[in-house]
Amino acid sequence: MFAVPGLGACTGPQSMLDPAGPAARDVAGLWWGMFVVAVVVLLGVTATWLVGMGRRPPTLDDAREKRVVRRWIVLGGVLLPSTCIAVLLAFGIAAGHRMLPLPLAGEAPLRVDVLARQWRWEVRYGGGAALINELRLPAGRPVDVHVRSLDVIHAFWVPRLGGKIDAIPGRTNVVRLQADEAGEYRGQCAEFCGTRHALMVLHVTAMEAGAFAGWLEAASR
Amino acid sequence: MTRPHTPEADRVHADFDAVWGTPPGWRTLTVVNHTTIGLRFMLTGLAFFLVGGLFAMLVRVQLALPGLDVLTPELYNQAFTMHGTVMMFLFAVPVMEGLAVYLLPKMLGARDLVYPRLSAFGYWCYLFGGLILLSSVVLGVAPDTGWFMYTPLSSVPHSPGPNPDFWLIGITFAEISAVSAGVELVVAVLRTRAPGMSLDRMPLYAWYILVMAMMIVVGFPPLILGSILLELERAADFAFFDVTRGGDPVLWQHLFWLFGHPEVYIIFLPAAGIVSTLLPVFAQRPLVAYTPVVLAVLATGFISFALWVHHMFTVGIPQLAQAFFSAASMLVAVPTGVQVFAWLATLWLGRPLWKVPMLWLAGFLFVFVAGGLTGVMLALVPFNWQVHDTQFVVAHLHYVLVGGMFFPLVAGVYYWLPHFSGRMPSARLGRYGFWLVFVGFNLTFLVMHWTGLLGMPRRVYTYEEGLGWDLPNLVSSVGSFVMAIGVATVLVDIALHFRFGRRATPNPWHADTLEWATSLPPGAYNFASLPEIDSRHPLWERDGLADEIAHGKHGLPGIAHGRRETWGVEPLSGRVREIVHLPGNTLLPLVVAVLLAAVCIGLLAKAYLPAAAFALAATVGMLRWSWENGAHPRAAPDATTPPDHPPLHSRTCDGPGLWGMNLTLLADGALYLSLLFSWFYLWTVAPAWQLPAGGAARGGGLLLASAVLLTVASITLRRLVLRLRQGIGAGTAGGLAAVTAAGVASAGLLVFALRDPRLAPTATAHDALVVFILGYNLFHCALAALATALQVARVRAGYVGAGMPYEPLVVARLWYYAAAVAWSSYAALGLFPTAWRAT
Amino acid sequence: MKPSPFHPVQISLGLVVWSVWFVALYAGLAVACERAPQAPGAGGPIALNVGFGLFTLATAGLLALSATACLRALRREPERPPRERFVARVGAAVHLIALAATLFIGVPLLGLPPCV
Repeated sequence: MFAVPGLGACTGPQSMLDPAGPAARDVAGLWWGMFVVAVVVLLGVTATWLVGMGRRPPTLDDAREKRVVRRWIVLGGVLLPSTCIAVLLAFGIAAGHRMLPLPLAGEAPLRVDVLARQWRWEVRYGGGAALINELRLPAGRPVDVHVRSLDVIHAFWVPRLGGKIDAIPGRTNVVRLQADEAGEYRGQCAEFCGTRHALMVLHVTAMEAGAFAGWLEAASR
Repeated sequence: MTRPHTPEADRVHADFDAVWGTPPGWRTLTVVNHTTIGLRFMLTGLAFFLVGGLFAMLVRVQLALPGLDVLTPELYNQAFTMHGTVMMFLFAVPVMEGLAVYLLPKMLGARDLVYPRLSAFGYWCYLFGGLILLSSVVLGVAPDTGWFMYTPLSSVPHSPGPNPDFWLIGITFAEISAVSAGVELVVAVLRTRAPGMSLDRMPLYAWYILVMAMMIVVGFPPLILGSILLELERAADFAFFDVTRGGDPVLWQHLFWLFGHPEVYIIFLPAAGIVSTLLPVFAQRPLVAYTPVVLAVLATGFISFALWVHHMFTVGIPQLAQAFFSAASMLVAVPTGVQVFAWLATLWLGRPLWKVPMLWLAGFLFVFVAGGLTGVMLALVPFNWQVHDTQFVVAHLHYVLVGGMFFPLVAGVYYWLPHFSGRMPSARLGRYGFWLVFVGFNLTFLVMHWTGLLGMPRRVYTYEEGLGWDLPNLVSSVGSFVMAIGVATVLVDIALHFRFGRRATPNPWHADTLEWATSLPPGAYNFASLPEIDSRHPLWERDGLADEIAHGKHGLPGIAHGRRETWGVEPLSGRVREIVHLPGNTLLPLVVAVLLAAVCIGLLAKAYLPAAAFALAATVGMLRWSWENGAHPRAAPDATTPPDHPPLHSRTCDGPGLWGMNLTLLADGALYLSLLFSWFYLWTVAPAWQLPAGGAARGGGLLLASAVLLTVASITLRRLVLRLRQGIGAGTAGGLAAVTAAGVASAGLLVFALRDPRLAPTATAHDALVVFILGYNLFHCALAALATALQVARVRAGYVGAGMPYEPLVVARLWYYAAAVAWSSYAALGLFPTAWRAT
Repeated sequence: MKPSPFHPVQISLGLVVWSVWFVALYAGLAVACERAPQAPGAGGPIALNVGFGLFTLATAGLLALSATACLRALRREPERPPRERFVARVGAAVHLIALAATLFIGVPLLGLPPCV
């Protein structure tokens, strides 16, 4: 975490810190908040330890000592973590709620079916269009990806757009993604699925709405 | 040896050594003493650690640069699977247990653990299970589906080779040692402490071990069940996890993580116990907040069972349910925070010394707190959806496990070295070792968080250039080599100290706990006499206690009767209640473990007939083992006690055996509840749940009949025990024989139920579970009948009778359990489906 | 039936109650969503959340009562030996910890729909 600046920026084709959609942006925001708090807590605790190692305190009477100890345990041991997790949970539940594929008021999300199998992605659209290891999306419109598996468990994941969801035999899981702008994104199977797991890559292209509609129509034929 | 060398102390030592001593030559194989067994656990764990580390280095070499092909994908998959498996199952848990086995009786002021033969048996199972697993590497068929073995990747269609079988069978075999040690440690903490050591005077380490051992008893059975189910699916095509036949692969994940998350705390709690033991010694004052720390340990023990789903946030569980687990996962931060601040406050108020163990504790604090913080992050559902199954998680879990286990362990090893060798560790080489490990570790894993955030999944054998992962991976690989050099330095340091270390003086760190009142290294009997305890810090408050102990000035100083013995006390108050006599050295645990290893090898080779034969032989071996118990002359050569002493435990109604039986049944019950969970889970959640073509609930009526029979038998046995307690021995053998017959009849009914030709366990998960539940009932009927038949023989031999009801009393628990299982199975198989369909 | 506030069972009783509540909550949710799923996205309080919320409050009430019983007993019987007072103190605290855990884990019931 501290070695970060020396190791390059946050960008990268699969970097969740370079978000390109609302879900991924929410998570990146959560990360930076948690990161700052975590660094402060870690440094604080470590510094306390180091100072404590060097201190030669006066001897306290029992009552004083009891008070001091109670303060440490209640403030540091109970209140500090409780506050942190309460705040975190409040943010987390709200963010999680926003990411759920709930019905929308306006335009319905586009539905895309993704079938995972060892070791490739099959992408299907309502009109009969189909792609292998490639996913095309309209930019700026929510897309509900319905993920299934034909053999073992895989996980569908395009980090710059949003979180992952497992592809499990017998189940259909839905994840809602949205790309803000047209562009190329990279996805990869995240659940270990056998020998060529590392090579199970998905190329994602977000297209302008008009271009996407044109492509879909052409491909559906 | 630091023992006082007065003639009297020498004589006492010689007498005790004659009864307790460790024999030379091949007969060391017969040793059951906790000191030797504990050391064997730790040394074997060290060997497995080195093997596991080797796999880690292979992984890091392969990932050092993009597109490397040092390992084929197949070998890489074996390497990371074996690394995780070996470190978790063959290093972390067994070493922590080994240390507890070694230390606990000494800290509690006892001479041995309560079931020495079981300790030895557990060790052999661990060794053989581990060797079976490692043999797969030599044979080139090492498990390669990840250490959590997700189905269907680990099922036959996708893993046709024997690789997963080695994992399932080897690990399950090795886990016998975990569960047996768990049972034994709980009973030891509760029942064999020093007189006067009430619960509130117990060393904190004992609290930690008590909670850890209880967690093992409840936490390991779900995985054992899961492994048995998966192996049955692989070997006999039973349909538990196959979705097309009404099973569900997610069931495996539930069973695995029901075990898997508590396991993290099973590893962490004893390590935290080491911290809470060492830190006050080096801070030169008692740990502050004893009661809050006890509460924190208890809370961690419970809450950690409500976290397992946070490993499954991406499987598509409703978000409200995920939120419960998310909140619970964050909640464990609070008890952990209490402990951390208790440690900090102790340092703050004490006069700490920077000795080598303290260095490792400081490293622990930094690394573990960092891991805890990322743990809280991972508990956050939306964040988890991003980083789950990435290198971020790999970094997190190494921070938690290396920080929360390895660092305290090394601190503890340095601290207790004088115990193992009688010598003090060096000051300089130890520091080099620490800094190399600390820097290497952080170089490897701090950077790995970043790799994960940049999107690199875990378990990939290679990656392309240009994804931004090249440099962080290279740094991690370099760091891992620095860390490996550090570990080697520590090992060299420890090896050298055996030769060059300064001789330890008595209680060299000026510690407060009783294990430093033994000689260094200790005799097999620990204490020549057992002192009464009246505070939490006996060695700080009573000078000369060690000398008094060595001179036989305290309790149970005589050994002329030739029996190994220690005090049995009331769990709460620590008041002496009986003398627990302990078995001596025997080859039987080894023999039984070898036979069981043969069973495992037979199963792996699919040679089922030989496997069955070996299983039969192992059963005979266990019966032979249990024959030398209670009033058997080899269990207590001389059964007389002085008039002012309490009775021998085998002549009471509440010895450690009863506690052991209860805890074993608790473990068994956890397995059974996991089984019922599987049944209800599949009914509710399996995507393609299907009822067999016949439709009728099978075996229901027969289960009911079996339940009635078992209940009648239980009541009869209870009456018999009551009569024995009243001193009426007539008719006992006949009564026990009748009870046995009821068990046999009940088993017969279940065999008949299982032979129903309509049952098709390979066709539906429904029938597979029905068969398994019936089989589970059958096993318990047969076991209860067998144990009771043995009691008939023991009545005839005169080991059980009027005034000696202890053994049938213990066996009765097994009957109650079998009856309860039969009733609830009837409810689950016979009544539940009708009710479910009706609503 | 009710164990004495000084009985060692108090050391874990509160957290056992909490465990049972947690299992019932999780299992109950799974069964409810299987048998009577509620449409997601509907505004206002959802029957399932209300039901589970009441169950949570009832459990919390039980835990609070038990904690109070331990604390009262401690005040009423100061002459008990230290080890027994230790048990009652730990017992009270364990009930309170379980209470806090119950309420904290129950919070998501306020904000999330049950079955999606």
